Amino acid sequence: MSDLLILWLPLAVGALTVLALLVDALSPPPASGRAVGWLVVAGLTATLGATFFVDVAGPAAHGAYEASAWTLALQRLFLAAGVIAALGGVDHVAARAPKRAGEYWLLLLASITGMTLLAGARDLILLVVAFELMGIPLYVLAAFAKTDGDRAGVRDRRPSEAALKLYLVGATSTAVTLFGLALLTGMTCATRLDALTATPLQPLATLGALLMLAGFGYKVGVVPFHMWVPDTYQGAWTPFVAFLSVAPKAAGVAALTQVFVLGLGAQHDRWLPALMMLAFLSMAVGNLLALPQTDARRLLAYSGVAQMGYALLGVAAIGEQGAAMTLFFLTSYVFTNMGAFLVVHAVAEGGGGHDLDGLRGLAGRAPGLAAALLCFILSLAGIPFAVGFWAKLYVFLAAWQAGLGGLVIAGVALAALGIFYYLQVLRAAYMTDARGLAAPVVGAPLKLAIGLCLAAVLGFGLWPGPLVEGTARAAHALLTAAAR
Amino acid sequence: MTAHLLSIIVAAPALAALVVLLLPSSARLAIRVASLAGALVSLAGSVVALASYDRHAGGLQRVEDVALVPSMGIHLRLALDGWGGPLLLLTGIIIVAGVAASWTLASRDKEYFVLLLVLVAGVFGVFVSQDLMVFFLFYEVAVLPMYLLIGIWGASHAVPAKGPFARAWRVFSVGDKQYAAMKLTLMLLVGSAAILVAIFAMYIGAGARSFDLADLAAAHFDRRMQLWAFPLVWLGFGTLAGVFPFHTWSPDGHASAPTAVSMLHAGVLMKLGAFGVMRIGMVLLPEGATAWMPVVGGVAALNVLYGAFCAMSQSDLKYIIAYSSVSHMGVVMLGAATLTPEGWNGAVFQMVAHGIMTGLFFSLVGLVYERAHTRSVPLMGGFAHVMPGVAAFFTLACLSSLGLPGTAGFVSEFLVFLGAWHSGHYAWAIPGVVGAFITAIYVLRGTRAIFWGPGPSERFHALTDARGTEWVAPIMLGVCLVLFGLWPRVILDSIDTGTTAWLARLLAVGGNAL
Repeated sequence: MSDLLILWLPLAVGALTVLALLVDALSPPPASGRAVGWLVVAGLTATLGATFFVDVAGPAAHGAYEASAWTLALQRLFLAAGVIAALGGVDHVAARAPKRAGEYWLLLLASITGMTLLAGARDLILLVVAFELMGIPLYVLAAFAKTDGDRAGVRDRRPSEAALKLYLVGATSTAVTLFGLALLTGMTCATRLDALTATPLQPLATLGALLMLAGFGYKVGVVPFHMWVPDTYQGAWTPFVAFLSVAPKAAGVAALTQVFVLGLGAQHDRWLPALMMLAFLSMAVGNLLALPQTDARRLLAYSGVAQMGYALLGVAAIGEQGAAMTLFFLTSYVFTNMGAFLVVHAVAEGGGGHDLDGLRGLAGRAPGLAAALLCFILSLAGIPFAVGFWAKLYVFLAAWQAGLGGLVIAGVALAALGIFYYLQVLRAAYMTDARGLAAPVVGAPLKLAIGLCLAAVLGFGLWPGPLVEGTARAAHALLTAAAR
Repeated sequence: MTAHLLSIIVAAPALAALVVLLLPSSARLAIRVASLAGALVSLAGSVVALASYDRHAGGLQRVEDVALVPSMGIHLRLALDGWGGPLLLLTGIIIVAGVAASWTLASRDKEYFVLLLVLVAGVFGVFVSQDLMVFFLFYEVAVLPMYLLIGIWGASHAVPAKGPFARAWRVFSVGDKQYAAMKLTLMLLVGSAAILVAIFAMYIGAGARSFDLADLAAAHFDRRMQLWAFPLVWLGFGTLAGVFPFHTWSPDGHASAPTAVSMLHAGVLMKLGAFGVMRIGMVLLPEGATAWMPVVGGVAALNVLYGAFCAMSQSDLKYIIAYSSVSHMGVVMLGAATLTPEGWNGAVFQMVAHGIMTGLFFSLVGLVYERAHTRSVPLMGGFAHVMPGVAAFFTLACLSSLGLPGTAGFVSEFLVFLGAWHSGHYAWAIPGVVGAFITAIYVLRGTRAIFWGPGPSERFHALTDARGTEWVAPIMLGVCLVLFGLWPRVILDSIDTGTTAWLARLLAVGGNAL
């Protein structure tokens, strides 16, 4: 099969980016924002639909990229996240930045192009390049909120801080990753992931691997590299944060799986302790620091740090089971967390602000939104029959089977502790009076986006079977492809 | 139709919840009728299930199996066993009575009925699950709605704290409904976390192929694993069963909860805990169970005494009943710990008997509180003059509580103490009997203080007896209490079928370890 055909999906998203650029350039500004937004929704939906009909598999670009069930599963996840993010943001972007709306969508598409490429990357160089293609647009996107207060004449410094923090941390992590990459490839004379498996790691190469782990750790936002997470979430536009909090993180964990489980799985004694430490610290610090939060975005940020700790448990399980469970967890996390952030956004736009206090009386003001929030929060907390229950169960089970019993017990205990702050959200939404707050007016696209998340959370929660089988196939494709 | 009887029992409340969800909140009567219909379908199904259970064949009947996650061996596997029928019946009775008792609810009734029905669907699910993971799923579904039910519709600070700890209680806002809801949820979920770890150990120990309870029971687990996994299951489920010292959520939770929720929680949910300890802990981990049994029995005896003493010193009517639940659940755990047929039959019978009795108690307390607007016993007195019906039923519940022959409470306590004697742990029978004696003191003293004696004070002259739908719960529960006391075989035969099968296996495997 020709390389172009195998690379069809990243190419399609890339082409969509160019198309969006043309539409944006050729149509007058006020109308173009919304038009490009809808074009993104339609284009990504069409691409997502096409993945069910186009059946390609195999390596391309001399094995640097590979289309397989693993690649496809991740790409679908990123496309779905893109569709939901576009739906959730189309009104907001058009209202807040009518002149720059086109840029917003272009950057978003560029980032998604990077993700889809990353999913198939089986070569360290391509992987890092795809990672940067994904990451750099995000720095700009985080800064869009900078001009929010301009018309009112107030300058909020938090958006600038959000973007700058994300940028500085991102740039540092890129440097660290590249340094690690240089050491690793220099010592092993290999950039292909399947070539790494056979190479014994010299101390310097081990250092390289650990530096790469740290670099990815920054992007994923695990402790101790999590400092940027709450500030960025608080400063940037919430519909963008909904996307930022899930898709790049899912991509980061997927990249970790590809590099460390596929590439360096055989040499796990060198890096596994470090990864386990990251997982434990994330679970502990994330859950503990989420307890005192009063801003819904910061609470979800720390909860996200903890969630990434659980995801790393799946990576630490090393092997097909672990990879499959990680993928399941990421799928669950993408829909759940996006849903939660979009509800927070809808409530904040309705006049309540982003504080937990702004959720007060939501059950009376907007029963639908409150019920959706209930489902998302229960899913994050890991309560059946929401998909988050299965997700947590599976990563814990995979880690237990891999002999990481201590880590699992710590995780289960910390997860139980975490219920406290999730319940605080529900308390605010269900057990308080609305006191002067009206029902938020939610636009149709945002409603649709929340509805899609809800459908996924409940659908996969009630019937997890197909998703489990799918992720198992994907993990099998990733790890047996290496053995081939 | 009847081939799917169990799914109908479990799904009826869930479907009713869905219907209620779709109704507008202004359709108050329709919401209640839909809820009641769902509850009645489940009750009718439970009666059919119990009546049609073939006791001679025994074992699992009416098996339904749907693969949920085939690759991991998770099946939605429902089946009726000897214990299932009576416990389904208990749940059916309590939910019908609970819906009737909630008929006059004033605020946010739509959400209330949805949560109540979801919760009870979880309870039904636990009693018929034959797959450990599905069992756990339903268990969680039964626990969680409680947070909102208590936090939204509960009552705060009905009786202000007194005594040496009053200041500390105010600082921690003990007695507040949100405090009670959070405490209950967190304690029960930490318990669930412990159970989950034990589930992992069992699943992997049995070859990581299946969560089927029969497969897990057939697997032979490593003795060391059993020794650490059993306490996790015991305390994990035991938290819900009110095992000392993890019972502290229960008085606060039951006292703060609205009437029907107290009925369900004390009447049915605590039984889930005891059921879990027996059905999962003891049956699946026989060696661990036999090794830990002296501790389980000792703690249970402590529960009986401690709960009774606590109940004796309360002045808040709901706290009295709540602590008496802790004491009575100790009897259940004591029966379980004897590992004798009498003890186990007594334990399961006590689940049903206490469920109905405490349901009756809480429904009556709700009626009294709604009218008198106080739960403080010292303020009351002579209520029998103005509410004779309520007084009569309350006295009936008290008599069952202290184990008067002719009521259901007698049958179970007699069986449990007999089992304790047979098991050779004579020392357990003594605290049990003493506990029953103290129970007699506090329930009789309580009844006298509330209902009997000279007429009520000025303030309570206008109180009225129960009316209309309010009669449904007391009459249903009161009749069952006497029926099961006079004719225990209705449910005891079925219970015995389950007991015989599991106990034989447990003693065969675990007996060697003694």
